[in-house]
Amino acid sequence: MVRMTLHERACRGCEMCVDICPTQVFSYDRERRIAVIDHEEDCIACLSCSYLCPSGALQHDDYPVVKNFYRDLEFTRKIEKFL
Amino acid sequence: MSPQTTETDRTITLNAEWLSDCSGCHVAIVDLHEKILAVLQSVRIQHFPVLTDIKDYPKATIGIVSGAIRTEHDRQAAEAMRASCDLIIAWGSCAVYGGISGAGNLHAPEDLLKAVYTENKTTSPHPGPSREVSPLRPVVTPLDQVIDVDLYMPGCAPHPTLIFEALTALVEGRTPIATQESVCGRCTRTMQKTEVDCIRRPSEGLPDRELCFLSQGYLCMGSATLDRCMSPCPQNGIPCSGCAGATMRVLTEPNRDIRTEIAERMARLTSIPREAIVKEIERNAKTHYSYTMATAMIGEKPTFLIRQWLADAEADHD
Repeated sequence: MVRMTLHERACRGCEMCVDICPTQVFSYDRERRIAVIDHEEDCIACLSCSYLCPSGALQHDDYPVVKNFYRDLEFTRKIEKFL
Repeated sequence: MSPQTTETDRTITLNAEWLSDCSGCHVAIVDLHEKILAVLQSVRIQHFPVLTDIKDYPKATIGIVSGAIRTEHDRQAAEAMRASCDLIIAWGSCAVYGGISGAGNLHAPEDLLKAVYTENKTTSPHPGPSREVSPLRPVVTPLDQVIDVDLYMPGCAPHPTLIFEALTALVEGRTPIATQESVCGRCTRTMQKTEVDCIRRPSEGLPDRELCFLSQGYLCMGSATLDRCMSPCPQNGIPCSGCAGATMRVLTEPNRDIRTEIAERMARLTSIPREAIVKEIERNAKTHYSYTMATAMIGEKPTFLIRQWLADAEADHD
């Protein structure tokens, strides 16, 4: 099953993940002004939320890797050396 | 590290060199303040222009090189560092991406010299230097275009906390903690949806202190910029200018671009149409892409058409 992590300190409370999620995984905590992962089990790992999140606060693990994006291998090797 | 470390234990030697840069990355190392003492317990500093007066390049374990390759001297110094050091770190955004010197790639070196020396509108014309000053290379490149680089430390300058983490990790032989979060990850401004319907220039009005710049209609590059700074600018009233380079996704995925990433988010936060935001960033592309345009990771993206954008902006202006 897909595991999702929300880095609460990094969440800016913009609600964009709530809007874009096709399976309504998120709810929004108005008091704390942050997103909440409510239905992790419904995540289809489309990663839309993670790509849209302005602060990079959302992380997905254990999801099936579908080669739906094109990534430059040379640059990816370089990024692995970033401190 | 034990406080009892003796001189003979300091087996790690460090060389540093600055090329075409502002020296801020080296000053950031000095900004470790008393923490530098912890580093010095394990490291012996040798060639290091901001701290020592050693002119040659003694053999060293770690080599820190900041600055872009702009001049012939830059290339020679970079090669001397590579020859003398076991491990080379490209230090700061200029060494990693080419930095702001990279904006010079939009002009031929002769045109740059002409603009500065013979056709300078704010001072009396004077022939450019012909001796003792190293000639410009045809283009500005990041460090890894002239020598092999083992590690990259982006940031303008990298925050001393991250420098300390990187240096101590190297000394201790562990992998440093390197976040993939963007500048927004540490910014404390509230990002909320607003009815703002036009882009505001930095000089227009006084931004709200608590609200996200994008929500207010000001262009801020925080959401598309790697956090290597601890977000000081947006926290102190200045929108992010993207000095640590784009996020890792933008760097590695050719179909992602700084302007569309920002426009996507800003259009969702405000009533400003996405296309208008893209157009505004393109119009000021020299500013918004200044730190990274010299690296192939940004400059060679199929969507990066800066010459066309600038020509369009000029045509609009006329």
